[in-house]
Amino acid sequence: MRYLPSAPSEDRALLDAIGVGRAEDLLQGIPAPLRLDRELDLPGQQSEQEVLQQMAALAAMNTQFHSRFLGAGAYDHFVPAAVDQMISRQEWFTAYTPYQPEISQGTLQHIFEYQTLTCDLTGLEVANASLYDGASACVETALMAVRLQKKRKTILISAGLHPHYQEALCTNITPHEGLQLVLVQLKDGVTDMDDLAAKLNGDVAAVMVGYPNFLGCVEDLKAISDAAHAAGALAVSVTQEALAFGWLEAPGKLGADMATGEAMSFGNKLNFGGPYLGFLAVKDSQKREIPGRVVGQTRDLDGQVGYVLTLTAREQHIRRDKATSNICSNQGLVALRANIFLQLAGPEGLKGLALQNVAKAQYLQARLLELPDFSAKFSAPFFNEFVTCYKGDMKTLQAECAKAGILPGLDLTPYAADLKNCILWCATELNSRAQIEQLVEVLARVPSLVGLAGVAK
Amino acid sequence: MTTRTREPLIFERSVAGKVGMDLPRLDVPAARDTRPAHLKRGEFKALPSVTEVDVIRHFTRLSHWNYGVDDGFYPLGSCTMKHNPRINEKVAALPGFADTHPLAPAAHVQGNLAVLYTLQEWLKEITGLPAVTLQPCAGAAGELTGVMLIRSYHVSKGAKRRVILLPDSAHGTNPATAAMAGYEVVVVASQADGTVSFEDVTGADGKVQKGLDTLLAELGQEVAGLMLTNPNTLGIFEYRIQDISEALHKVGALLYMDGANMNALVGVARPGDFGVDVMHLNLHKTFSTPHGGGGPGSGPVACTMELEPFLPRPVVVRDTAKVGEGGVAQHSYRLDWDRPLSIGKVHAFFGNFGIVVRAMTYCFSHGGDGLKAATLRAIVNANYIRKELAGVYHMEYQTPTLHEVVLDDSELANDVHTLDVAKGLIDRGFHPPTIYFPAIVHGALMIEPTESESKEEMDEFIAAMKDIALQAAENPESLHQAPVLVGMRRLDETMAARKPVLRWT
Repeated sequence: MRYLPSAPSEDRALLDAIGVGRAEDLLQGIPAPLRLDRELDLPGQQSEQEVLQQMAALAAMNTQFHSRFLGAGAYDHFVPAAVDQMISRQEWFTAYTPYQPEISQGTLQHIFEYQTLTCDLTGLEVANASLYDGASACVETALMAVRLQKKRKTILISAGLHPHYQEALCTNITPHEGLQLVLVQLKDGVTDMDDLAAKLNGDVAAVMVGYPNFLGCVEDLKAISDAAHAAGALAVSVTQEALAFGWLEAPGKLGADMATGEAMSFGNKLNFGGPYLGFLAVKDSQKREIPGRVVGQTRDLDGQVGYVLTLTAREQHIRRDKATSNICSNQGLVALRANIFLQLAGPEGLKGLALQNVAKAQYLQARLLELPDFSAKFSAPFFNEFVTCYKGDMKTLQAECAKAGILPGLDLTPYAADLKNCILWCATELNSRAQIEQLVEVLARVPSLVGLAGVAK
Repeated sequence: MTTRTREPLIFERSVAGKVGMDLPRLDVPAARDTRPAHLKRGEFKALPSVTEVDVIRHFTRLSHWNYGVDDGFYPLGSCTMKHNPRINEKVAALPGFADTHPLAPAAHVQGNLAVLYTLQEWLKEITGLPAVTLQPCAGAAGELTGVMLIRSYHVSKGAKRRVILLPDSAHGTNPATAAMAGYEVVVVASQADGTVSFEDVTGADGKVQKGLDTLLAELGQEVAGLMLTNPNTLGIFEYRIQDISEALHKVGALLYMDGANMNALVGVARPGDFGVDVMHLNLHKTFSTPHGGGGPGSGPVACTMELEPFLPRPVVVRDTAKVGEGGVAQHSYRLDWDRPLSIGKVHAFFGNFGIVVRAMTYCFSHGGDGLKAATLRAIVNANYIRKELAGVYHMEYQTPTLHEVVLDDSELANDVHTLDVAKGLIDRGFHPPTIYFPAIVHGALMIEPTESESKEEMDEFIAAMKDIALQAAENPESLHQAPVLVGMRRLDETMAARKPVLRWT
């Protein structure tokens, strides 16, 4: 086995030194009846060549779409070659949590820079080293808000939050007796301010709102933050497409007390939904309640500037059941991808890229709305995603697109009663004009229900 | 190699006008500005203006300040720092996997669903438990999922119950997890051999810690379950685990096994065969996926059929149809969202899929026989180090150990402590073991060599450890000063916490 340092003479020397005849003798600590008395029923050892063949065969079972118009929390963006090259250095990807700061300054300084950039994007003051993904980041943020708000026990969540984030919140808040999640309805694709006002009361710890939300709509975060603050609640901005920070004002500048969400858009492939990157930034006054790893600047014995894991008194390995979270391993290498990506992009690149996304999505929308079966669902401004109503048959649309090698937008029918036959479209810098024209051409050929009904008569 | 002693923060290298990313030519009309005035993005204060050259050099120089598994021996106990095979990375990056969207219709992601299904099947065989979810993104997330399964199970029987029991040797994530799942934590005593005690234990300070029998008698049906790491954090197999399971089941409580140390058991013993109801695995430990400087990991959960209905949704299902005259079995895969008893989603989509692909590749490479061989070698390695360092360093528990060994600083001369040993190892080119954990061993040095280490690598480490013990006797002050050879001296953690500087301004 190519990874095992086994050689007969050395194996013997090791066993002789220990004083046993064979390796199995060292299993004496496991009572015999508890040991497995047979071999594992798994395939046998394989060469690298064979492994690659088998795994490549599985990969080939997936459809390779040459153009994709699907986002909904997982965004298709260009990944600069420098990102993959750099994270492939063993110093980054084979190391672990920087428990020994003297030989982990690379990771520690990177996290410090990542924290700085997360604060810059969100307009807030303290960020952590990462959380698992957008969904669990929402959970951690909600629990943190409740800790900060002491006696308040209700979390208001806008119905515009990503449905998976809503579900993860529900999963994780349920075990906490006394806490409750209350949904705030949408109106024309954005949080209904009347419903929000009606549900804000002295028990509300925080209001969580998508920015932009799951339906692509840009919410008026300022108005929502003001409403939350007037009722003594914290305003939490949840961003599932972090590239929008290149176009939209930072949540902290609009009154948000905490900004969380998903930052996979910075330097990652789609990867079938993970590993992605949960982020969290908060106000300085809240820092001792933040979950997860945090890196701080300090000095060594010679006065050199260096970095260490800090505020560890919040964490599970010190505080155990009183910790701010159980999180230990997070998404370190994905945060490194984001850091490299953001440094390459810089302020001009990030703004320019965001603007290209807006332009592509606007063009896609304009072209779709020229087709008789498509109409705009909402009127709010959007970043790179928007919803259309569709009069045709969804299954036929999907089949025709697939035949042409296109992955269309998300059928929203299963997500809400008032979204029946609606489609959530996404366009990014990767969608060329030619791809958009081809999509429109294919869609124009799909017979509409209206047309079919006419024929039937 | 770099001779630089310090790489500035990238922000200090920023020069207005430099770019590190050229954008493609825009082939559609320019964007109309639809934003309300107050939602227009303001200026960035930190995002640097640097070139690709600057960024590549920056991260290359920073990388020189890190120690990775490929640098050498990395015996960080409980973290299983084994070799990260490169084929895993190559496979995960195949466009067939990497360019797939998690919300694409099931018919278009049959390969991905086959990967999820197959690894689940293999993990069932490895754990001896009949149901698996791959959704949790790390060990702690797996723990939380597992304890929420226990909670839902009890709720379905009438009440969630109040208490989770834990031994005092437990990893910190266990109590934190129990609290996040809405439970109170009650600690069970460890006995003299380092395993869970059924009887009460009187400590050196005269304090009595309650054993499992007492706690179950007192708390009875208030106990939802017990979380047990096995082998435990001392590397000792909890040899009475089946009795523990039976005692718990008698009061209707369940046994959770923290599988952080599963590298000691794969192919030689299966938790499902000794009474475990639910457990998690760490794909980034036992199954070789890279630790990434702190993730991403993956923490699959395996459980009994009694807990299966509560697993996070969706669940991957395989349908088999007989095709053609010969009735050839043809498989297809789908996602079952209709799971009324599910605890719900714990992450968006399917968790860390890319890590699952790597772990499956690792299993393919080893095969069942190779996985067992790896386990045995990991146990041999740990016992070799134990044997060679016995008498040089004190060992609190004499019980046989499996994949790791816990030594301590109590017999070192001249006020030299575990921290000094760790820093002394750094100067000798090794990553230190896990230190000061488990807390039940004062000044613990928790050494886990894994199966990746050759005799030669271990002999060098053993020699370094002996050398440090000698230095403690002869020149303790120099050891207090270590490290002095890696460009960074000991860092002031107190200052970092007291006056936190958490970002560049």
